[in-house]
Amino acid sequence: MDSLAAVNWPAYETEAVEAIAAALSEQELADARVKYLGRKSELAQALRGVRDRESGMLLNGIRSKLEDAVAARDTHLRRLAFRLAAEAAVDVTIPGTPVRRGRLHLLTQIRREIEDVFLGLGYEVYEGAEVSTVWENFDALNADPAHPSRSKTDTFYIDDDTVLRTQTSPDQIRAMQEKTPPIYLVSPGRCYRRDTPDATHSPTFMQVECLAVDRGITLADLQGTVLKFFRTLFGAEREVRMRTSNFPFTEPSVEFDVTCFICGGRGCSVCKHSGWIEMGGAGWVDPNVFRNVGIDPAEWQGFAFGFGIERIAMLRHGLPDLRAFWENDLRVLGQFA
Amino acid sequence: MKVPVSWLREYVDFDLPVEELARRLVFSSCEVDRIVRRGVPGGANYEHFVVGKVLEADKHPNADKLQLTRVDVGAGEPRSIVCGAWNFGAGATVAVVLPGGVMPGGEFTIERRQLRGEVSDGMILSEREVELGQDHRGIMVLPDELEAGTPLADVLPIGDDILEIETLYNRPDLTSIYGIAREVAALLGTDLNPLPGVEPPPAGDERVEVAIEDLHACPRYIGRLFRDVRIGESPAWMKARLLGAGMRPISNVVDVTNYVMLALGSPLHAFDYDTLAGGCIVVRRARPGETLETLDGTTRVLDPEDLVIADAERPVAVAGVMGGAATEVAETTRNVLLEAANFEQLTVLRSGERHHMRTESQTRWEKGVHPELAEWAARYASQLLVELAGARWTGEGEARGELPRAPLITYAPAYADAVLGLAVQVDEQRDRLTRLGFAVDGDWNVQTPSWRWHDVRRDIDVVEEVGRFHLVDVPATLPERTEMFGVLTRRQQLRRTVEDVLVGAGLYEAYTYSLQAWDPDPDAIELPEPLSSQQRVLRTTLAVGLLGAATHNIDRGNSNIELFEIAHVYLPPGPVPREPWRVGGIVEGDFFKAKGIVEAIFEAVHVEPTFERVELRDEFVVGATVQTGWVGTYGPLDLEGEWSAFELDLDELTELVPERVLYRDVITYPPLRLDLAFVVDESVPAGDLMAAARAAAGEELRDVRFLSDYRGEPIPRGRKSLAIAVAFQSPERTLTDDDAARLREAIVAALGQRFGAELRA
Repeated sequence: MDSLAAVNWPAYETEAVEAIAAALSEQELADARVKYLGRKSELAQALRGVRDRESGMLLNGIRSKLEDAVAARDTHLRRLAFRLAAEAAVDVTIPGTPVRRGRLHLLTQIRREIEDVFLGLGYEVYEGAEVSTVWENFDALNADPAHPSRSKTDTFYIDDDTVLRTQTSPDQIRAMQEKTPPIYLVSPGRCYRRDTPDATHSPTFMQVECLAVDRGITLADLQGTVLKFFRTLFGAEREVRMRTSNFPFTEPSVEFDVTCFICGGRGCSVCKHSGWIEMGGAGWVDPNVFRNVGIDPAEWQGFAFGFGIERIAMLRHGLPDLRAFWENDLRVLGQFA
Repeated sequence: MKVPVSWLREYVDFDLPVEELARRLVFSSCEVDRIVRRGVPGGANYEHFVVGKVLEADKHPNADKLQLTRVDVGAGEPRSIVCGAWNFGAGATVAVVLPGGVMPGGEFTIERRQLRGEVSDGMILSEREVELGQDHRGIMVLPDELEAGTPLADVLPIGDDILEIETLYNRPDLTSIYGIAREVAALLGTDLNPLPGVEPPPAGDERVEVAIEDLHACPRYIGRLFRDVRIGESPAWMKARLLGAGMRPISNVVDVTNYVMLALGSPLHAFDYDTLAGGCIVVRRARPGETLETLDGTTRVLDPEDLVIADAERPVAVAGVMGGAATEVAETTRNVLLEAANFEQLTVLRSGERHHMRTESQTRWEKGVHPELAEWAARYASQLLVELAGARWTGEGEARGELPRAPLITYAPAYADAVLGLAVQVDEQRDRLTRLGFAVDGDWNVQTPSWRWHDVRRDIDVVEEVGRFHLVDVPATLPERTEMFGVLTRRQQLRRTVEDVLVGAGLYEAYTYSLQAWDPDPDAIELPEPLSSQQRVLRTTLAVGLLGAATHNIDRGNSNIELFEIAHVYLPPGPVPREPWRVGGIVEGDFFKAKGIVEAIFEAVHVEPTFERVELRDEFVVGATVQTGWVGTYGPLDLEGEWSAFELDLDELTELVPERVLYRDVITYPPLRLDLAFVVDESVPAGDLMAAARAAAGEELRDVRFLSDYRGEPIPRGRKSLAIAVAFQSPERTLTDDDAARLREAIVAALGQRFGAELRA
């Protein structure tokens, strides 16, 4: 132990750590390292004279600590140098490197949202066909022969028995012919009517059909489902209401409104100061429709509703003109998502 | 339908404000678009409108065209009023608005003022000034028995609220004021006054010949003859109501037919009897070549499908749509034949379509009016013709088939609860149905009234009658599901994957029209009657629409255009085509830019794409097929720059996608990499060479990648150097140099044999 007596090692260590931490340049750090760890340092000399295990452990411990301190100070000093250089050269407020990012069309984004709400409610997504027979689009849907929607001034006919579907409702017919109840489905897609294009009309438009067929379905179930859907899409505070209407394939038939999500129901220009926004048509499936597809209306009941995807997009995002959806101007498409 | 509220109140009494009535009707009965104020603004403003007696009337001392009058308006001193009309003199009873009175529209207030040096303390009114008619040639001269100072609103309908409602297809009854009154009575639980119309005593028993050749198209025709008719203006109350309902007053006889149609919902027509050849009516189909000049002055070539009203010689009206000009009631008319008939909806609809006509009567017939209503209409119109036109009712003829009976329905009140999810009291159901005109017996047999015969035929229809008054009370529940499970199909998942890949690759999604101006497939399905030449054929490819969308963007000054679309195409043969889902894209750039996007799609769905050069359509200068679709580069376009496109069939692609992706061990043992360059004829496709290399190397091959295609020194003309990088890897061991030599040799031998490929040193 004699070899250790000449030096107060704890003091040596403290002094060395302080000297290392005080180094302000790589040169000063190198000097400190040579002084306390170098070949001629008291530590190096003492280590060379060590004969016993206890002294060796003490001195090696000090050396290890000092080496770590040098390494840490070295990293710090080098980082500091970079930071000082970068502070002058890098302006963090300059925009980042552009990444090319594509966009889903707004109508697709909303279609997916709608699908996802209904998938969550346990519905399947159904895909019908756009070219329909008159039977699917009108007859099976219980439209009487004089119904105005059949008019050639309203509907695109391919021939006397074939039309471009005027609504997604023929999907009800196809689905009920393919499947056996219970049936829960949502079906988005293109529809066609002979409307002259303007800000709110297009001869091609997107609709969504929803159909539920099960035992004991009521109009209250329709109201509850519509409520869930619109609360998901437009906010948890929304309320819905039903008003009487008339569609060939539902009885009773209703229109449903949702409280305005712009003004919260107080009245604004979007809801024409009524507090309510018309969203679509609905009703309890007419027993004749079930009979037309071979489902027994005594056993199975259902509700159906339909609405326009463009209307939701226009209302929610404040688009004034529906034609924008079909013009595909990147400056418009780029605003969403 | 425009409903003057004063008219409505004639049939049903209610005390709630019109706005509140409208709000409630909207739930149970019909849309109310708006409430419009017609005529003079009401309330305290009415106090300024009074009956006046003209005491003196002389020429204005300073104006030749004006009269200066003194008018007794009841209270206070007579008023000095300057007036521009000359159709009255001293002693006349007139309508006066005093200073402070607000005129129709609400923007103009009458003030005391000087006119050419004389005070005018009010205004004498013409009917047009208070919207009681269109006559503005003179002021209104009122009956002399009226006393000065009588509130004008007590003697003339100078102001009214108009409900503008939209009538649903199933509610022809709501195209009449009385029908709406019945609805209001049922909604509010108030009393409905009896149906208007009292049969006048007949003044003769002349026979009117009526024959119907098609009892389906015309189930009933009542023809009534009125003689010694005095054609003139209708009274102010009737003109005001017609104007409020949106119809132009014409003459007392024509106005009566319109008024009764509006009141009861069964349209009427009046002919000048003396113009009817043979004085008879035949309801028949038009004969080939027959023409008719209708009331609007248009000469129409009739179709043999058109149902017409004819006299002994010729058509005199298109049944249910419009009358003819030659038999029109005019000022000279002395004798009138009143038509109170019934026409089948589809017959009228088709005639209207064929002749592009839209009339008030047509819109009612098209909804299906019951023949019983013809009787009511004949009765009420007869009463009014006698009262208002001094007519003598001298004869009648009627033809009819068996009239349809309104349905008798076996109903159970509990059914309403099961459908609505809401219990509606049995007593209330009975009361509501009764007020709507249904007869309900003790066993709940429900007799539909004639005016609802089309719509209410089954027990579910009765449920709607009960339920529509309770829509605000229906609770919100979710179905008690017996079984359900929602998940996207594989194809739907694939569609979303492809959407996401393309968005990730930087493309914007477009929606273009399914109907286009042209299509490359000559068999593409065309619309016989398109809306425009731009939208006439159902597309068989997305490429045309996408090129249009790209062009539109360039025209708008946009750049970096890369678009995709996912939609149906319509593959002939028609009339019902196959409609597969397609994904198409268009990018500004060369073939390989488009091909790279297609490869990204295939990589994402784990299918190895194989491309083969083909000639696509003429517009393309480079083309290749790939599984389920194609990639191509357009030749010079109207657009600047180079444009490439692709299209894949998503339905077919779905079939190729593996069920699941299996893990390959690429970690445990290191890969062995080799770069190889071969000299081959220029005609050898790189894809073929790589495919052959892949086949030759077998299972240990992990990857073949294209490096370069080099032509020129030192490669001889007509040949090229294709360089590829191959990587070998085994999941079981580290591959050795010997393995490398063996695999390389296998590739070299196979390519040498197949393509005459020589390995470059």
